[in-house]
Amino acid sequence: MGYILSDETKDLLADVKKFCDNEVKEQCKAYDVSGEWPKEIYDKAVEMGLSTLEVPKEYGGIGLDRISCAALYEEMAKADAGFFTTMTSSNLALKPVLIAGTEEQKKWACDVLLKGGYASFCLTEPMAGSDAANSKTTAVRDGDEYVINGRKCFITNAPVADFFIVTAMTDKTKGVKGMTAFLVSKDTKGLSTTNHENKMGIRTSTTSDVVFEDMRVPVSSRLGEEGTGFITAMKTLDLSRTFVGVGAVGIMQRAIDEAVAYSKTRITFGKPIGKFEAIQFMIADMEIKCETARQMCVHAIDLMDNGLPFSKESAIAKCYAGDNAVQVALDAIQILGGYGYSREYPVEKLLRDAKIFQIYEGTNQVQRMVISKNVIGKF
Amino acid sequence: MEILVCVKQVPDDSVKVVLNGSGQPAIDKIAPVANAFDTYALEMAARFKEANGGTITAVSIGPDEFKTSLKNCLAVGADKAYVVTDASYDGSDSLATAYVLSKAVAKIEELEGVKFDIIFCGKETTDSTTALVGPELAEKLGVGVVTCVTELALNGDKIDAKQETEEGYNTIEVAMPAVLTINKPHYDPRYPTMKSKMAARRKQIPTLTSADLGTDASLVGAANSAVKTISLSEPTKKQAGIKINEKTFEETFAKAMAVMTEAKIF
Ligand SMILES: Cc1cc2nc3c(=O)[nH]c(=O)nc-3n(C[C@H](O)[C@H](O)[C@H](O)COP(=O)(O)OP(=O)(O)OC[C@H]3O[C@@H](n4cnc5c(N)ncnc54)[C@H](O)[C@@H]3O)c2cc1C
Repeated sequence: MGYILSDETKDLLADVKKFCDNEVKEQCKAYDVSGEWPKEIYDKAVEMGLSTLEVPKEYGGIGLDRISCAALYEEMAKADAGFFTTMTSSNLALKPVLIAGTEEQKKWACDVLLKGGYASFCLTEPMAGSDAANSKTTAVRDGDEYVINGRKCFITNAPVADFFIVTAMTDKTKGVKGMTAFLVSKDTKGLSTTNHENKMGIRTSTTSDVVFEDMRVPVSSRLGEEGTGFITAMKTLDLSRTFVGVGAVGIMQRAIDEAVAYSKTRITFGKPIGKFEAIQFMIADMEIKCETARQMCVHAIDLMDNGLPFSKESAIAKCYAGDNAVQVALDAIQILGGYGYSREYPVEKLLRDAKIFQIYEGTNQVQRMVISKNVIGKF
Repeated sequence: MEILVCVKQVPDDSVKVVLNGSGQPAIDKIAPVANAFDTYALEMAARFKEANGGTITAVSIGPDEFKTSLKNCLAVGADKAYVVTDASYDGSDSLATAYVLSKAVAKIEELEGVKFDIIFCGKETTDSTTALVGPELAEKLGVGVVTCVTELALNGDKIDAKQETEEGYNTIEVAMPAVLTINKPHYDPRYPTMKSKMAARRKQIPTLTSADLGTDASLVGAANSAVKTISLSEPTKKQAGIKINEKTFEETFAKAMAVMTEAKIF
């Protein structure tokens, strides 16, 4: 549906679907309540290679194309958006390494992930969310080392990460041009994670603060030149936003599947509610939102694959899919009536999960800033 | 250790099969999968190989489409696979199938220059559920067989197989080569990794025909099978059960006992 996939990808998709149906979908209900990070599910998923879909072939990965990745990610998000977030976040952290890293750094980071590791992308700070350039984390050069101090917050995968991509100011006077990115191993002295977030949704994904106290890293851990950190982070987000959109599409598809199944069995006034035009049209509108969002993701991927500019389209894909996922989840709740509002049924969770897609990797206001800047230009 | 695993592709057993207008099972729209017991057999074989070393070959008798299941086998432990395809085998009963398999064993041994130490079969297939092919294959090969195996361990040049029975378990020592038919163990078959799946898709699966196997045409196919299917019927529908779910386990148990006593089940 939506994607035109090769036979090989269809085959992989069938395996991912089977795994998600058997190991994720139902199991995540209990973890959604407890907020526990389901290690045993993740162990199996990592073993299957679901956390390393984007590792390039030359670094030992499977060399999957972007559209195939999207199809597999959507299937994961359909089962549980927290599961999707955990799996994709390591790939998010890998992107800056692939964009700006040395051969050695790329090889090292890919190896860590292929051996079953996790990674975190640490940009957000208490005083620097949408305004990422207002970073207070500093990196001071001291001989062959940098000394990093500061705090990152809302960092996905932080408590389980084997490496962290950390942005820090090497020269505050230069604004965004004074930001530098580093590739930091979890064993580095002075690095700690704290303040586990008790979240509204995507509760199977773990989020916490990362603190750096006189953390010394070698110069060789710097990603690219001094002052390129902000650009690297923005390039990373440009690329990853489309895949955040894909996750939101997964939520929409699940909401539609649940609503359709329910509408065929729930009888009111002597008929299944799916026989009423009011419900049918709601389902049609949900499908319109889902399929158009999916196509926007496909379009952004097409542009990436063809080496064309995609920043605006990637922002549209994320923003549009995120906004619509919230609405479609609400509609699914409406179709299930009182049962939709009950935690016994799966759709209220979809709403809680969908909401994050309007917030992380740049709020949807920030996406609109990116889009309008592209459309209006400088004047 | 040279291991052969016999695999049949069957209609997905989680889908209910009904009869079509001409009294045949309507299975054309049901996704084909590897027989569940064969997947248990392959998983057990893969674990055995991991513990003791060796090579696993998977073999399937059936049309070219059976390669789909064999590719899945190649992604979860099998090193090689063969499909045995011949129109003359269509409609073979279990005995004729076992005969063809025995010839396939000999042919693959010749092609690979090996002798199989253990031949794994599923306990039965989920489509025809005869549970006959494994023991019949052992008979044709003139080797020992242990059925309904749920665990096995290498014991010198023999195998200790744990056999599940109606009452409990037997531990049976069997000399190799041997045929083992596998029941559901306490673990599930592994999932293919994305990498193993992609590699498996690229592997070649050679096809063997009656000419390769040298099978006797008078022993195979529907016409030469001892078992003839006269007609098929759907299983009678189960009556709707009752759900007993009291507050505590004790209350649930007491209620269930009361219901069964009243129904004079005891
Ligand atoms: C579950 C979760 C996981 C996350 N994972 C990560 C991660 O792995 N790595 C990481 O670096 N970050 C992560 N984040 C952080 C996330 O990207 C930020 O929360 C987000 O960018 C918004 O920043 P903020 O929370 O500081 O909001 P603020 O920037 O304070 O924004 C508050 C509100 O004001 C709006 N706003 C701000 N500025 C403007 C403006 N100029 N015009 C219009 N509206 C504006 C925003 O859209 C928002 O609605 C995660 C967050 C969550 C909740």
